Amino acid sequence: MIDDLISMLPYLAHQAAFGAVAAAGFGVLFNFGGRALFWCAVAGALALGIRTLSQKTGASLEAATFLAAIGTSCIAILSRRWLGVACHAIALAGCIPMVPGAFFGQALLGYMAVAADTSGQSVAQLVASAQAFIRVISIVGAIGAGLAIPAYLLRSRQF
Amino acid sequence: MNTQPDTTEIDPADHHLLDRIAHVTLRAGAILAQSGASVRVVHEGARMIAGGLGVEVLGIRSGYASFEITLARDERTLTRMMQIGPHGVNHRLDFAVRNLVLRASHGGMTPEQIESELDSLQLDTPRHPPWLVAIATGAACAAFGRLLGADWLSFVPMLAAASIGQGIRHWLLGHRTNVFVVAAIVGCVAATLGGLGARLVGSGTVELAMMASILLLVPGVPSTNAQTDVLDGYPTMGSARAVWVIMIMVFAVTGLWLAEFVLRIPA
Repeated sequence: MIDDLISMLPYLAHQAAFGAVAAAGFGVLFNFGGRALFWCAVAGALALGIRTLSQKTGASLEAATFLAAIGTSCIAILSRRWLGVACHAIALAGCIPMVPGAFFGQALLGYMAVAADTSGQSVAQLVASAQAFIRVISIVGAIGAGLAIPAYLLRSRQF
Repeated sequence: MNTQPDTTEIDPADHHLLDRIAHVTLRAGAILAQSGASVRVVHEGARMIAGGLGVEVLGIRSGYASFEITLARDERTLTRMMQIGPHGVNHRLDFAVRNLVLRASHGGMTPEQIESELDSLQLDTPRHPPWLVAIATGAACAAFGRLLGADWLSFVPMLAAASIGQGIRHWLLGHRTNVFVVAAIVGCVAATLGGLGARLVGSGTVELAMMASILLLVPGVPSTNAQTDVLDGYPTMGSARAVWVIMIMVFAVTGLWLAEFVLRIPA
């Protein structure tokens, strides 16, 4: 068990590091200030770290994303003392690297290919596209629910 | 704008005051909505300002492009509507306006003072320079690419392509080009550049590089805000946001599809 954990550390570090870069990069686009940007990077690393660990322990991508979102949201709310009222926005920025844009792209490109197909042999493509689309809905739903549930339960609704 | 009050025989001075309050309340709400706040926050902000100015809010209605409020003071009521401009995400402006709303809710400010502070916030709230936003967005897309499994060789092409894409988006939006058309153009240019660059450096993940180069167009905040709005009891706005997200993705992927056609990448 410990050996497994040690062997996956480089991959975990890779995912967390690029999660941090993606969250901070989008934080700049969303006009977060300097200090908040640092916390966006931490939230991104945390979210990707939890998701990678969950997937390695057998969770599906959707379940792992939900756990990552709920974990990031809980930690952000509990750290409100340091993060201030922006804790919800920081948790959201941290979850942005998990938004399944690539799956959405795959699904739409697949549907376009099906529409252009005249051979009548596009069942496999149609199934793959539908699967990608269902994954998009599940993952976006997992992120939204994971971020919202702690805010409702911990009565930490932002203004 | 209609300047008739809902109730008749109103003192013009009272009517003018109620009008000013409605205007400043709507303006604060509109800025919050345009900065990426959820509908609940927008409504709460409007109620707080109105409460601080000694007025009761009888009703608020938010659409994707407009915002309506009915205020009451003593026996008088007034309904006003305001257009909401393009929706975006501006964290610092969002929280600066929330801070102003909190101060206004404690009372002691006039509508004119709040209006003037809103003007200052819109003008003076700092923004990162466009070149920094472009590079940061490029770095974010390249990081997305790595998370998706793109190889190291394609890292710099993804970064460069997405940075250029963000630069083009900034320029086109500044020239008031339609946001969906912008998504298609940026999707096509960024994916072509990312794919071409990745191919030139000998990457084995050209398609992933193309996909990652357009991820700057994925509306992550609106997609989670759509759910927040539905959860908070505003399904109309939530649905409008969801449709907007789907439309943006359709246009962005059309751009990507064109890029794949240009680079002769099989579907």
